[in-house]
Parts: sequence; C-alpha cells; structure tokens
Amino acid sequence: MTKKRLYLELENCIGCRSCLAACTQCGGHEERNRNYVYDVNPLVNRQTMPLMCLHCVNPACARSCPAQAIQIHETGAVLSALVEKCIGCQNCTIACPYGIPKFDTEQNLMYKCDLCIDRTKDGIPPMCASVCPSNTLQWLTDEEIENKKQQFNLDNGKWVTSLPYLEGETNVKVNLPGILQGVTKLF
Amino acid sequence: MQRDKFFKEIENVRHPNETLVKTHCSYCGMQCGMNLRVNTLTNKIIGVEPRYDWPVTVGKMCPKGVTAYQQTNHDDRILKPLIRDDASLKGTKEGFREASWEEAYDLIAKKFTEMQKQYGNDTLSVFSGVSMTNEKCYLTGKFARVALGTRYIDYNGRFCMSSAAGGFLRSFGVDRGSTLPWTDIHETDCLFIAGSNTAECHPTSMFRVWNVQERGGYIIVADPRETPIARRADVHLDLKPGTDLALANGILNLLIQNGYADEEFVNQHTNGFEETKELVKEFTPEYTSELTGVAPEKIIKAAEIYGKAPNAVVMFARGIEQQHKGVDNVSGYTNMALVTGKIGRPKSGVATFTGQGNGQGGREHGQKSDLLPGYRKITNPEHVKEVCQVWGITPDEMPEPGVSAYEMFELMEEKTIRGLYLLCSNPAVSAPNLNFVRKALKGLDFMVCADFYLSESAEFADVVLPTVTWSEDEGTVTNLEGRIIKINKAQEPLGESKPDWQIQAELAERLGKGKYFSHLKTAKDVADEFRLASKGGYADYYGATWDKIDKQDGVFWPCKDENDQGTPHMFLDKKFYHPDGKAKICALPYRPPAEEPDEKFPLRLTTGRVVYHYLSGNQTRRIPFLRDMCPEPFVEVHPETAAKYKMEHEERVRLFTRRGEAIYKVKITEAIRKDTVFVPYHFGHEQSINLLTIAALDPISRMPEFKACAAQLEKVENAEMKKVQ
Ligand code: SF4
Ligand code: SF4
Ligand code: SF4
Ligand code: SF4
Repeated sequence: MTKKRLYLELENCIGCRSCLAACTQCGGHEERNRNYVYDVNPLVNRQTMPLMCLHCVNPACARSCPAQAIQIHETGAVLSALVEKCIGCQNCTIACPYGIPKFDTEQNLMYKCDLCIDRTKDGIPPMCASVCPSNTLQWLTDEEIENKKQQFNLDNGKWVTSLPYLEGETNVKVNLPGILQGVTKLF
Repeated sequence: MQRDKFFKEIENVRHPNETLVKTHCSYCGMQCGMNLRVNTLTNKIIGVEPRYDWPVTVGKMCPKGVTAYQQTNHDDRILKPLIRDDASLKGTKEGFREASWEEAYDLIAKKFTEMQKQYGNDTLSVFSGVSMTNEKCYLTGKFARVALGTRYIDYNGRFCMSSAAGGFLRSFGVDRGSTLPWTDIHETDCLFIAGSNTAECHPTSMFRVWNVQERGGYIIVADPRETPIARRADVHLDLKPGTDLALANGILNLLIQNGYADEEFVNQHTNGFEETKELVKEFTPEYTSELTGVAPEKIIKAAEIYGKAPNAVVMFARGIEQQHKGVDNVSGYTNMALVTGKIGRPKSGVATFTGQGNGQGGREHGQKSDLLPGYRKITNPEHVKEVCQVWGITPDEMPEPGVSAYEMFELMEEKTIRGLYLLCSNPAVSAPNLNFVRKALKGLDFMVCADFYLSESAEFADVVLPTVTWSEDEGTVTNLEGRIIKINKAQEPLGESKPDWQIQAELAERLGKGKYFSHLKTAKDVADEFRLASKGGYADYYGATWDKIDKQDGVFWPCKDENDQGTPHMFLDKKFYHPDGKAKICALPYRPPAEEPDEKFPLRLTTGRVVYHYLSGNQTRRIPFLRDMCPEPFVEVHPETAAKYKMEHEERVRLFTRRGEAIYKVKITEAIRKDTVFVPYHFGHEQSINLLTIAALDPISRMPEFKACAAQLEKVENAEMKKVQ
C-alpha cells in the first residue's frame, strides 16, 4: 500500500461544506463534524476555505496534554482524545496553532479530526476528501503531491503558494491560494 | 466505460451488520453515485458511503447528497393516507385525519367520477414533477390520459428545463441536455458558462471545471452575481439579469467579424447563417454593453478566448432559461458553437445543467401537455397511433394537448379545471406569482396530493397519499448527460407508503380502467412497458435494459436495441435531427425583460438556489445539517445600494414588487450588481420569493420569468409607519 496523505488546495474551495457534512459519516465520529470552513471575507466575495487539522509531526496539542489523551497513530494521524484519559482541561485547544480541537462541554471531552482513522488505516480516503466536490481536499501519494507542488510552486513577490510548512512539519500538505497565478495558459 | 484520470480503484469501508446498496442521489441532475448503508438487522437505511466506482462523480457529493439518506426514516414522513373533511381548513396544515388506503381510494374515485360526470373529463388535472424515475414519469402520463382521460397534464419542468428543451429542439432538432459526456468537460480548453451558479447548484461538476484552468484553459462566466465560479473565472461577464440574448448576439457578432466562423461547417451542416449574421451586426461591443451593462473590453476578451479555443463547451442553466425569452437565450448561446463548428466532436459541444434529478428523462416520456413517450408529439397522428398500440386504446380516445403548468392555474381560477391530482411537486412554493397560484389551489373543488412529506402544496389538499422516497423503490433516471442510470431500492417502504406507479395503477382500477394497468405489478413491469412505448421515438430507450445500464455504467440515449451501446457523443457524424440533417443557426431579435425597472421599482430582482437546498426545500429544509447551514432566505444587496437605502447587514427589510411582498434579512455583499438584488427560492409560506416573481411566460416553452422583474426595497419601520398612516 503506497502511503497517501491529505492534500489541500485552498484555491479550489467553493464553500459547500460537504466536508463538514461528510465528517459526521465516518465510523466513530458520533455524527459530529471535526473541521471548519471559513468565509474569508463574506461582505466582499464568496471566497471560502477549509481549516483542517494538519496532523503535525510533532503536534502541539498532544505535547500540551497533561494526561496523554492524544495518541499518534502509526500512520501519523493525530487522534481524537481518548475518552478514558481526557480530563477536559482544554490545553490542547489553546496549544494548537490553528484552533482545531473542539470541545464537548457536556461530555467534558475534547474531540478532533482523527483523519478518519477507520478508513485511512486501510488506505481508504477520509470522508471529507472523498466527497469534496471541488478537489480542495484530495488524498494523494507523495509523488502526486510533489508533482502538484512543482506545478504550482510560485513565489512571484505577490503570491507564495507552497511553503515548506506553516508551523512545523505536518503530515497534511497544503497549497495556499494563488496557484493559478503560475499556470501557463494553453493559448 | 469513460473512466478518466479522476477515477481510482478504491475499496469501500464495510461496517459489521451493514450492507451497501449502490444508487444515486435523490436530488439534482448530476445524479452523483452513492452507496446507501443499510443495517442488516433492522433493514433500515442508516447512512451513506461514497461510490468511488461511479465514473461521473467518483465518490464526490455535495452536502445535500451526503445527507440525502436522512429523508427516508425522517419523523416527518407521512405514514398513512390523510383525509381532511373540513374544506374550510384548506391552505393550512390543520384538519387532516389518518385513513385507510381503501377509504382514500374510495373517496378519490367517487369525487373524480362525480366531477367528470358533471363537468366533463377535462375538469380534472394532473400536475407532476421530474424528481422521480422514468417509470413513474411515464406512468403518470398514461394515468392522466388513460385512467382519467383528461387533456390537462403538465409538470414542474415548465419551471425548470422547458426552455432548454425548446431551444435545443429549434437549434438541433433534438433535445438531449448535453451533446457530450461529463467526462469530457475537464479536457476542453474553454468553458463558456452562462447563468449557472455551478458551484452551488451542480457542485460535483466543479473538480472538472477547475481542472480546465489548472491545465491552462479558460473559464468564462456570465452571471449578474460573482458566484464562487465567477470569482475564479478568467472573464466574468457581469450582466444585468434578463439581458442574455444581447450578450449572446454581441459575442456571436464578434466571432463572425473576427473570422472565427467555421465556413465549411456552417455551409455543410447548418441553415440560417446569413440572416443571423445580418441581425447580430447591430450588436457591437458598445451597443451590447449598453444593453447588458457589461464592459465592452470583457465582451471582446470573452469572444476572443472562445473563438481561439481549439475545443470549447458552451454551458448554461436556469439563469438564462428562466426568462420570457429563455428559448431564444438557449438558441442564442448555442449559435456560438454552431457558427464556430465547436460541436459534434469530443471535448466540444453544448450542455445545460439539468436542475432536477430526472429533468431530462422526465420531460421525454409524456408528462408534458403536448408530448407522449419517446418524445412523440400528441398532435402527430402517427405518433398517437404508435403509443395507442402500446396502451391498448384507440386514437380517438387519446385526449387533445393541454396547457402548460402555470396556465393550468389560470384554468383553475376560471373553473375550467376543478380537480387536481398533484405529485412530486410543490407549486405553492415553486410557481411564480404565488398569491394567484395559492388562491387557485384553494378554490379547487377537490385536490389530491401524493408526497412523502406534508409540503406547502399538500396544505391545500383534501386527500394526501403517502408515497415512498427514492430509496424505497427502483427504476431509471436520465442524468444531465443524457445517461440513463439505475436507482436501486435500499429499504422497504416506511409505514403504509407506496410508490407512485402502484398508487396510480390501483387508483386506475377503482376508476374502472384496471385493464390498462393491472399487469403492472412491479417497477420492472412498468420499465418494460415504458421502453416499448419509447421505441421508435427519437428519445428511444428500448435498448436501455436494466442489465445493460448496470454493465455499462449507464446508457446514453438514443439506444435502439439490444446491440446498441448508446450514444455518449451526439452529432459525431455531423448529422442533426432536423429533416434535412442540418442544425439551425437562429436569428434572434433582442427583447428586454417583461418588466423593466422604473421609478417605483428601480431594482432588478433575480432568484436562485443555495448549495444547501433543493427546489422548493420541501425535502432539504427538514434535514438538520442543511437547515442549520441555511435556515431562512435572505436578500443579497450591494453595499452601495444598502447605503443608499440606509440598510445594515442582517437587518430585516421589506422587498416588494407589483405582485407581492416579503420580509428578508439583508446580506450585504460586493458579489452582486448594484442594480440587482437576489433571493433564494427554497422557502415556503410568507417567505417565498415567488410571491414577488412575475408570470411572464416564454412564448415557446411557457417558462415564467423567474430571473428578472422590477422590485423595491424598504426599511421595515418605514413600511410599518405607512401602514399606521
Ligand atoms: S467540501 Fe471542499 S469545496 Fe466544499 S467547503 Fe469543504 S473544502 Fe471547500
Ligand atoms: S493541527 Fe492542531 S490539532 Fe492538528 S495535530 Fe497539529 S496541533 Fe494537533
Ligand atoms: S479527515 Fe475525517 S475526521 Fe478529519 S476532517 Fe476529514 S472527515 Fe473529518
Ligand atoms: S444534489 Fe446534485 S450535486 Fe449534490 S450530491 Fe446530489 S446529485 Fe450530487
């Protein structure tokens, strides 16, 4: 099984929030969604983008957890808090640079994207990347991601599309908006 | 078949005690593939799993599709027939009592028979829809004409696809929504998309659309709003609502003037070029700009890109079709492909984004007032004879053509029509000029509504019959490509609900017409009769057996016999369907919208969809995720316009036209023209925007002008002050 990763191409997002709807459908998600879609500038235009857990290689959420409730799966997925360990301190929600972990006050439990571990442990794409109609979210091999990065790599002073990482190395790879600025037109 | 670079072999996740039923979404014309997850202990649908093996959508779904399964076992399902004895409660949800099917059938048969005895057969009408299988659509046409013997049958496609149908028939002599398969879309070099908010209305086209740009191709979008697709377009032609024909003529003029006409193609395969060339001469970029409000440079740039593109696809949707010149708009934009010869080959062509799941198939097989199965004409004696042979009636028993959907309400108002059998549609929300339509429904002597939820229209009924959702029956649907696909049954009908074909067959029995229907015991029986009835018509489905559909990942019509694999690309032989084999380039004089802004009503009102809802919202407004994302309608206003009216974001304001009014929250956005406001149409009762829309009908398609009328905004406190005075 070739390793695949979640890859985000933020330029493509159409704001349909199908990723949110689909997230509830993964086994073990208790029908709650675990990602976010933002209207970037709602009074001006329709630009939107998903904000996903990037599954950091050295995750701040897990590091900040005093109870070791956040486990890292062998695939690199940073899992949701273990019910029996999570003490509800919410350190992780503050520690994460992107504000990803969500908190259930009733259960006193953190829950977050587990990269649909039920699926991705067997190489099946996560729900959000399966359904995303615009290919903002894709499930690709490292080679495919490398090709994308090369195709869209752009630093023209105005647009920077591919950064090595945002905050430290992540398992999820991202291309920022602006990729089309570097495309050579067919005619 | 047609597996492309987006297709990947992926296993599905299988949970214990679950089976997956392959099917398609219940909603729009994309008909995305999906697997319904069924619990094998309870035999109930419990969720959805992507269908990676469906070549058109490869697992993708919009949020409507992801949550579609929640319709089946929803608390709002009607589980038994409902009867309302107190007619004074019509127009409300009140007064219904549960009844047995026996009692409901008896009552309907008694009423229908009495009324027809007193007022003649044509006092009854059938108003149908196309969010259901071909088999159901087919049988509804037969039910109206054979079981009820009435001429008055029409359907909600008059509010949806009828202009596309009219335009294609005129231009090509055939009405297949797309001349090419969707798997070609991303391989073209230029997409010219007019009046389609593709990202919200047909979201799963978007990965193909964006791929055109990724490859270095171009996207041109004509839309009064900067929709998500317009935002990223290479050229956004931000025209005034209702001015499409001027834009189409203007671009055609530039294509001809700048030498992009394909003379050989035009000479050999088309008629009407010279006349059209003369007519469009007047539409210089400046004049076109004056009419449309689009800057001349943008028009020039768009024409140049489309002209230069080695391959290009012209696409459109309700934005251009829901106008009182919708048919002309369709033929007008289609002219671009015919004049440049960018049609009848892979990666080039013309397509409309079909709105309803079976908007294509449902319009071909006899629910339209003047059509019979296989796209036959009820006015053509030969066609009538062919269908009569299948139905077992004589040609003199075949009713005359009826009238279009909106015109049926006019006949109700004047009591020519006194009874209605409504199914698969919610005109109390989706028809234009709703104050009039709701009054017409309320004034009926007797109305039956077949639906699985109590819709706003069901509130006007005397009897409500519980039907099944799409997941509790099987049959075929024709998607927006013209590909016939199979919907599969995942669960037994909930409560006492029944599929429409069964209800109609049983009701026919009560009406003494059992011999024409009693052999139809399963959906498959209906399918077999339907294929036969379409045989020889130009929408020929005879060869599209369920087996073949399964083996081939769908079958594109026409498909005439066992050995015919179907027709993914139309016109590859450059033969069009007019008698001389040529297509028609149409000379189309420009007409402005029926109602232009003036001093009292200075704004242009346009309507449309949001991604979270489908049609009248009867289904999607009940799904928690979709309702939470968009719980109520809003009016989109440009910040400069809002400032002029002193309106704040999210303030409640009164929007009104000559026909009606409603209160909406303001949504301020720069993504709309300053002279235009937009309201989504999925909402019922006092918030239906169709209370305000105009019923100006296209002369050919009888499509109402939902997309443009004159309106005015007012602060609620001002409106209240006026009332007090
Ligand atoms: S599903 Fe894709 S396009 Fe839709 S909101 Fe999520 S990321 Fe954006
Ligand atoms: S993005 Fe946030 S939640 Fe996700 S792994 Fe990194 S630190 Fe943890
Ligand atoms: S990877 Fe799975 S859990 Fe994470 S956001 Fe996507 S759907 Fe939700
Ligand atoms: S509504 Fe249309 S685009 Fe959305 S999932 Fe259903 S068929 Fe696909």
